[in-house]
Amino acid sequence: MSASSRGGRALSSLLRSQHTRQTSSVPRRVCIQCANTTTTTTTTTLLQSSRRAYSATATAAAEPSSSSSPIPPPPVTTSSPSASQQSQDVRYRIKSGIILTRPPLLTRQLTPFESAFFLYQKRLNERLTAPFRKEFYFKQDTATDLDWKIKLKERHGVPAKDIGRYNPRGRMGWNDEVMVGSTTSDHELGVVQKLLHDAEARVSEDGEEIVDEADRVKPEPPQPRTTEADAKNDTRRLDRKLDQTLYLVVKRKGAAQKTADGKGGDEDVWTFPAGDVPTHEALHETAARVLAESAGVNMNTWIVGRVPVAHYIQSPPPTTTTTTTQDSSSSSSGRGEKVFFLKGRIMAGQADLAGNKHGYTDFKWLTKDELKDTLEEDYYRSVRNMFELR
Amino acid sequence: MSFLSVNITLRGLTSRLLPPSSPTSTRLIPAMSAAFFSTTPAMAAAAAPAKGGAPKATPKKKKGKGKGEARDPKIVNMLQHFAALSPRRIPAPLRMGRNRHLRHWTIHRAWLMFRRKQREQREGTLMRQYQSMHAACEELRQTEGPGTRDQGYLYRVAMEKKGVYGHNGVPIEYARPQTETPARMAWNHEWKP
Repeated sequence: MSASSRGGRALSSLLRSQHTRQTSSVPRRVCIQCANTTTTTTTTTLLQSSRRAYSATATAAAEPSSSSSPIPPPPVTTSSPSASQQSQDVRYRIKSGIILTRPPLLTRQLTPFESAFFLYQKRLNERLTAPFRKEFYFKQDTATDLDWKIKLKERHGVPAKDIGRYNPRGRMGWNDEVMVGSTTSDHELGVVQKLLHDAEARVSEDGEEIVDEADRVKPEPPQPRTTEADAKNDTRRLDRKLDQTLYLVVKRKGAAQKTADGKGGDEDVWTFPAGDVPTHEALHETAARVLAESAGVNMNTWIVGRVPVAHYIQSPPPTTTTTTTQDSSSSSSGRGEKVFFLKGRIMAGQADLAGNKHGYTDFKWLTKDELKDTLEEDYYRSVRNMFELR
Repeated sequence: MSFLSVNITLRGLTSRLLPPSSPTSTRLIPAMSAAFFSTTPAMAAAAAPAKGGAPKATPKKKKGKGKGEARDPKIVNMLQHFAALSPRRIPAPLRMGRNRHLRHWTIHRAWLMFRRKQREQREGTLMRQYQSMHAACEELRQTEGPGTRDQGYLYRVAMEKKGVYGHNGVPIEYARPQTETPARMAWNHEWKP
């Protein structure tokens, strides 16, 4: 069933209730198909009437008698802008924050089940495909041919390099499963080491075998997946936790920026960088400015879209009543905060808090699990939904 | 068909009479058969003289091999390769014993379950992210803008798409794929604008 038909069904149920209220002769229970066919015309008119721009709803509401639709258009805004609502909004300062992320640079570590399954599939594939023909790939009696022969002998005649010792055409061809605890399927121990060993040239260009292992030219091994920063757990470095997303958090003095609810003023708080939105800026412009002002310009960043990905509302302190806030609206002490976070990406560079205008004293690049311990609880709960899977 | 039968008997003959035969002579036979079964015009043309000739003439050709009819070894090699890839040489579908097949079935189900878990995780993350954006946008829409801006101003501005698409809309560095191992310098900390 498509989404549109589901919507039509919902509408038809609405219309049915209307009809029963107006004329009691229409039975309440009709089958779905009948309901759809009877109400198609009214549904289309309703859809036409409801498909309006936001600005058109005001005019439509002004002249309800002229419209011939059976149902008045639903209210578009969930909260009507009343005087009390307006006065409430004055009590909030609007801030724009940026959640700067460093995307994972590495692929996910394979689970043991995955690597075992891949080995299993490779061996099944060996059982199902045509045999490898060396003559097609190596010209006879060349250096590469000799090289191949040596390596093939070392692999016990198995042409594939990553399936271990298994010959699908031999007497033990049925025995294609590895035992429990075998390292054949292990990527780091089994496959990479085998491939590295296999990449050494065993025959010189003249076709002579290089017997001494010291004379063989070894290929450069791939870099390890964990770096120095991982070993030291240096949370300022960006080459830490390479297979996870890192988020930039900054530390600020609690007294400087926190609202005056007394407590927590002297504690240091870890937050995402955020700043007030002036009247002439949009959210993403403020976010970019705040990032440049707080963490420096030596970062290659990009703000993803202009739409906030998360928001955090700090309600105003309950001691102040509405009348007092209206009187003292110029002082920002009694106001709450609405922080809208935009998402940013860092491609190169490093944060530098020297001479920042927002009073930040320290920064960290943390994963989402570490953020849980670092951020305050309600703050974390309001932003956690935007986090990536890893 | 007569040609094929001749070929088969020949193969038996050569293997029986000449056990230490040179590799070139044994290699030629599958190549010829491959040419016989091929449907491409080039190979048919290559096989045409063999076909056109009488069946009796072929053994003479075999004996007089290497005089004038020798094929390019590259072509021979390729034909052999295609012969090895022919459906007759491909192994039969897997046959497993009962317990082995049950194990295979279990592994398969485990793999499907693993993939389903991953997919659900991914979908859940996307849903949560969407909900987060939706909630933030809804809050933004009901917020009176900074200063004297009216309600929903910031939302309207955030929805504008000026300059979002088009040239340089997305930086080229964004296209970096994830790798299995890091670069020699995993991260450039000394980047300057």
